[in-house]
Order: sequence, then C-alpha cells, then structure tokens
Amino acid sequence: MTIVVGYVPTPEGEAALTQAISEARKSNTTLLVINSSKGDALVDNRYAQEPEIQSIEDRLATQGIDHVIKQPVRGHDAAAEVLDAAEEHNADLIVIGLRRRTPVGKLIMGSTSQRILLEADCPVLAVKAGMAG
Amino acid sequence: MSSSPTLASRLKGRSELGVALLLGAAGVLVLVDAIALVTPYSKSDPVGPKTLPYLVAGLLIVCAIMLAVNVLRGGQGEAEGGEDVDLTHPADWKTVLPLAGAFVANILLIDWAGWVISGTVLFWGSAWALGSRHYIRDGIIAVALSVLTFYGFYLGLGIPLPAGLLAGVL
Amino acid sequence: MDVFSSLMDGFATALTPMNFLYAVIGVLLGTAVGVLPGLGPAMTVALLLPVTYVLEPTSAFIMFAGIYYGGMYGGSTTSILLNTPGESSSVVTAIEGNKMAKAGRAAQALATAAIGSFVAGTIGTALLAVFAPIVVKFAVSLGSPSYFAIMVLALLAVTAVLGSSRLRGFASLGLGLAIGLVGIDSVTGQRRLTFGQPLLADGLDIVVVAVAIFAVGEALWVAAHLRRNPLQVIPVGRPWMGKEDWKRSWKPWLRGTAFGFPFGALPAGGAEIPTFLSYVTEKRLSKHPEEFGHGAIEGVAGPEAANNAAAAGTMTPLLALGLPTNATAAVMLAAFTSYGIQPGPQLFASQGPLVWALIASLFIGNFLLLIINLPLAPLWAKLLQLPRPYLYAGILFFATLGAYSVNLQAFDLVLLLVLGALGFMMRRFGLPVLPLILGVILGPRIEGQLRKTLQLSAGDPAGLWSEPIAVGVYVLIALILLWPFLFKLIRRNRPAAMPAGILAKSGSSEPTDAGGSGSHGSHRADATSGGDGDGDG
Repeated sequence: MTIVVGYVPTPEGEAALTQAISEARKSNTTLLVINSSKGDALVDNRYAQEPEIQSIEDRLATQGIDHVIKQPVRGHDAAAEVLDAAEEHNADLIVIGLRRRTPVGKLIMGSTSQRILLEADCPVLAVKAGMAG
Repeated sequence: MSSSPTLASRLKGRSELGVALLLGAAGVLVLVDAIALVTPYSKSDPVGPKTLPYLVAGLLIVCAIMLAVNVLRGGQGEAEGGEDVDLTHPADWKTVLPLAGAFVANILLIDWAGWVISGTVLFWGSAWALGSRHYIRDGIIAVALSVLTFYGFYLGLGIPLPAGLLAGVL
Repeated sequence: MDVFSSLMDGFATALTPMNFLYAVIGVLLGTAVGVLPGLGPAMTVALLLPVTYVLEPTSAFIMFAGIYYGGMYGGSTTSILLNTPGESSSVVTAIEGNKMAKAGRAAQALATAAIGSFVAGTIGTALLAVFAPIVVKFAVSLGSPSYFAIMVLALLAVTAVLGSSRLRGFASLGLGLAIGLVGIDSVTGQRRLTFGQPLLADGLDIVVVAVAIFAVGEALWVAAHLRRNPLQVIPVGRPWMGKEDWKRSWKPWLRGTAFGFPFGALPAGGAEIPTFLSYVTEKRLSKHPEEFGHGAIEGVAGPEAANNAAAAGTMTPLLALGLPTNATAAVMLAAFTSYGIQPGPQLFASQGPLVWALIASLFIGNFLLLIINLPLAPLWAKLLQLPRPYLYAGILFFATLGAYSVNLQAFDLVLLLVLGALGFMMRRFGLPVLPLILGVILGPRIEGQLRKTLQLSAGDPAGLWSEPIAVGVYVLIALILLWPFLFKLIRRNRPAAMPAGILAKSGSSEPTDAGGSGSHGSHRADATSGGDGDGDG
C-alpha cells in the first residue's frame, strides 16, 4: 500500500507533495517521494538538493508518515521514473503537480503529466499550484 | 631494483608506468632520428640540427626514468578535475570508446562521403555515445549543423569542405 | 607617436562597425563558454583558429580578446551560482561568492564580480597600454642571447612553478618540444621526425595540436567522468548592489587589481596566486572578518578584480615579448604565428595599428561585458541546462571541422585523434597541458635564437651569456630550478617559523585545498549521500 508523489521543487511540486501528505495521513499508507533527473546537464533545477530533501524528510518525519524519498538519476525522464516506482511498489495512487503549458510548448517538450495520466495503472490525482488542501 | 615477486605486485595498479614507457619511447625515437641527421660543417650554423633533438631526447628519457621511479615508489599523478568532471567514478570506457568510434567513422567517411554525411555521423554518434536517446531530434540537429557549416564555410569563409557523395546535390 | 594618440587610432580601428561586431561576438561567445561546463577560453580560441585564415588579423584578435575577457567573467558566474569553479583562478571567488548566493545575495555577488572585473580590466588594460611600449623599448635593445634566456625562463617557469608535480611538468614540456621538432629544419633543410611521411614535412600545424589537446582531449576526458548528480543553480534576478555593497567593494577592487596585474605579467605568475593573495588580504583588512566564510562581499570583489587584472597583465609579455604566460595567451600566440606575424618587440613597430586596435578592443570588450552581461545573468544561468550530449558532441564536431579546414586532409584528423588521446592521457595522469603547448610554440623559436646566438659568437658558448640581461635571467632560472631544494633547506633549519605560508601554499599549486574545494567537497558528499538514499529505497 503506497502513494507515489512526483516531486519537483516548484509551486506545482509543493502542491502535489502537500496533497500527497494529506492523502497518506488519511489512508495511513507509505508515501514514496520521487524526485528524478535525467542527469544529462550540469544543472537541473528540477532536481532537489540536499537541504530541500532534508526539509521534506523532517516534514514527513514530524507528521509521522511512513516514507521513502528516492532521487533516481538514470537517464530516464520523470514520467518513466514515477511510473516505474508506482509499478514496483504497487501504488494505490499517484499524485502529480500540473503546470500550465501552451499547446506549442506541449508539442515540443511533451508532457510528463500527460504521460503519467495515460500510462498509469492506478488512479492519478493531479493538483495545480495553490490548490492542495 | 626489485626482485621479481614484488615486481609483479608493484606493477599492479600502476598504469602510470605506461606514461613513463611512452616518454621513454618518445625519447628514444627523437634520439634515433637525431643520430640519422647529417651535420654539414658550417660556420654559419655551429649549433646544427642535432643539438635540440639531443636535448629533448635527453629530457624525455630522464623524465621517463624519474617518472618510473616515482611511480614505483608510490607517486601518483593527480587527475585533472573540472566543473563537469566527477573523479569519484572510474573512467567510463563505455562512453569514450563509442565516442572515439564516431570520430574514426568521420575520418574514414569525410573524403569519400563528404562532410555533410560524415559530420552528421560524427555528431549523431557522439550524442548517442554520450547518452542521448532522442534519435530523431539528434538526427535533425546533426544534419542541420553539418549542412549549415558546409555552406557557412563555403560561402562565408571560402573553404570548400568536401561534398563527397552529395556532390551534385549541394 | 605617443601612447595616447596611438591608442586613439586603435579605438578608431576597433570601433568600425565590423570590428565592433566581432568584439560583441567575442564577448558573448566568451561569456557563454565561460559559463558552459567543460569549455574554457583557451579551447574556444583554439576552436576558432580556422577563422584566422579568412578574417582580417585585427578583427580576429578583437574577437579573441573578447573571448578571453568574457571567459573570465563567465567563469565567475558559475563559481558564484553553482560553486563549481571551472578554472583554478575562480576557485577563490567561489568560496565567498557561493556563500553569498546561498544567503540570497547572488545578485550582489554577481554585481560586485562584474563591476570589479570591469574596474580591474580597465585599469589593467590602461597599465598594459602604458607599460607595454616601455617593455618594448627595453626589449628592442636585447639581442639573441637575452631572448634565448628569456624564452627558456618562460618555459621553465611555467613548467616548474605551476602544477603539482615538477617532474610531470617537465615530461609534458619534453613531449611538446618533441612535437615542435617535427618537420623540416629551417637551416639545413633536413627532415626531423617525419618518418618519411611527406605530410609531416611542414611540421604539425599548431591549430591541430591546440585543438587536439584543448578540445578533443578535454571532451574525451569529461566524457569519461561525467558528473552524475545534477546541481541546482541558485535563482538570480538582475545583478545589483546597494550603497553599503559599493562602499565595501571599491577598495578590494583596487587592491585586487594591484595584486593581479604584476602576477599576470610574470611568466608563470598566472591568476591563482594573486586571487589567493587578494582573498587573504581582504580577510585581514575587513571590518567584518566574521563574515568571511559566510559570504563576505570583499572576498568576491577582491579576487575577481585580481583575476581580471591578471588577464590584462598576461597581455603585456604576450604583446611586448611574444611570451605567452597562460594557455589562452599561448593559443593567441599560435594565431599570431598563423598570420605570419612575429610576436615580440618588433610587433609594435611592424604591426602598430593591429596592436593598438587590440588594446583598444580590450577596453571596449570590458565595457561591453559590463553592459551586456549585467542584465543577461539569468539567461547565462539557463545555458547550464544544455544537455551534455549536445555540448560535447558539439565540441568534437567543431574541433574536427576546425582541424580539417586547415589543410582539407583527413590525415590531420588522424593526428587530431592521436594527440587528443595524448591530451586525455595527460589529464588522466596529471601531466599539465600548458608546458606541452608552450613547448610546441616556443621550441622552434628557442632553437632559432640559440642558433643565431652561437652564429654571432662563431660557435663560442660564451656568447650565451654575452649580455647582462641574459646573465640575470640565468640566475633567475637557477633560482627557480633550485627553489624546492632551497625551500627544503630553509624549512629544515627553521621548522617552526614557516609563516611565509601564503606564497608557499599557493605556489605548491593546491589552492583548491585552501577552502574552495573544502566546501566543494562537502557539496559533493551531500550529493552522494542523496544517492545513497536511492539505494536504500
């Protein structure tokens, strides 16, 4: 029994995390936080650094949530990492943050959330920034 | 300087001895080449063509010996760091060898197939070796770069890169 | 003509629309490569050497000057925002700069670095304009014996002083000299080290050697050790400084300049020692010594100024004596040579307009850096997200293109690969690259001067020390070579009293140990522990 949350250090990511925490508390399940990077550039602003991970760790610990934080850097994109983790841990729920993208932007960059929504084998909860409760 | 059983153990992990060997070989090469030179007696050139090669050969051979001694005594060259270099991993030959392969492919292809094709192979192959898996996007970038540089060099710099197989097309 | 009017003529040349455009291109390109990981100014100038075959020399050098200064600037941006100093000269900047950025003062750190670079670069270039002609005046009186001695000094100083292992430095020098030997001996017409290969008769093209060692060798080396854990760049808006920051910055800028210029002008002086000296000085003089180690603005202002002043200082021996003291200068010297221009004191006489246009363009480049880059800082930070496969594939692509376009023969590409493998090996085993490049470039010229000297003295070796300057230089060379032994002796006699510390410490070429890598190391440790977390999960 697990909830998988795709975390990125952005407002959307924070919203997803907050939502995932409250879901995990409600159902008293393990929370699996995934923050991945393809690792193909020197800088990836979507890859959380040690202090941020530490603060999430503290936050989860103080709330008494059973949790695992993973930061895979294996050259896969974020969608694949989240889907992998969900499959591996038999997730009941995937929580992701949504950000607004123009149709053109989506065409060029593809959409991580879209792929997760389409390919996941479990329910997916999509949150927008500032919506989590 | 050391008996044979310890020599084997001493050689282990001392790939740097290869550097000493290379230096020594280079030194000998320079020396042999210098000996073969003829020095015409000339008042206008008392130094002659041999002096510097002899000095260089000497320097290389002395360095080779000293480096070998240094390495056997446990000395170690400090690998060069950098912003994008992570020395905690050993050298990743799975990246380097395909990269060199792409380079060699370019050398073999450039005169026959022309720069546009060989350059495309080089860029696409290098990107692949370095872990990019966007085959189509890489291909488009590779072709675009090759074509652009071909025309850029031809029209902008006046340097005619070989057109090769595409001679009629470009 | 006096300095001022020559300089004004130089400005007139450098400010023609085309040349100004090249200055802008150079500055942008320089900053970009300074920011991008794995690329440095030396590599970039090397990659651009082929354009020297078609461009006017003046335009080419104006562009190179922009790249040189821009590279310094870009390097400081990454040290501040990422704590990954690309070049040893920006290690010190990273110490306080990254702390400032982490404390939310990235904008101020970038601003003091940029404005300090501008101030130091401008003063340094002015000093260059004043001193270079003086050095030239002195240098034209020198004969071959002195020249020979000075060039030997430059080679040995770079080899013996820089780098962590003198032995490996000399090994690298030997390889460089050997590469320089290849080709037809200019006096007797005999082929040396050509192995019957007619393509080697003209010697190895310096473009091919420089591109191979700097670009191919580096790209292969980085490819073998790609950093796995991505970093996060500290977000930054437009750099700016408050009144208090200005007050705390201007003195360090000036002091940094005073440290940087003379060291840059010395053979083997480089930028590491003055940046370190500046840091230590600012720490001592600061009214807020407690802030050091937690993001003191003086610790960014001083070293950055020293860094750029050293860059300006480097140009003095390059233009006045034809002596390169760092890698970028060495490659620029190669560019001079490929134009058939003989660098050295005659340069000011024979190529006066070119030299003054170059100096003027250094002023312009500095100014451009300031006005272009202050607003562009956030954009440069974005550049760091370029995927590595494209970056390094691009380097290899352009390296190949550059080397091939010199003679349009595939044989040069074979040389490129072989020498690139040599460059890889040198990086792997800690052989410094600079002595090799200097050996290739200066070797043939040293031989020429040696022959000229002994020709003048009719074969009498005494001719070598027939000029007082030459004698002085030989004494200096002896000191440099014997220094480690003298040092040991002194240390043995006075084991306790060793606070001569600063120079000795940085001279032993481990400025990375001074603290920059302390924090860097801990950063890396963080990253790994994050990685360990994966394993557990």
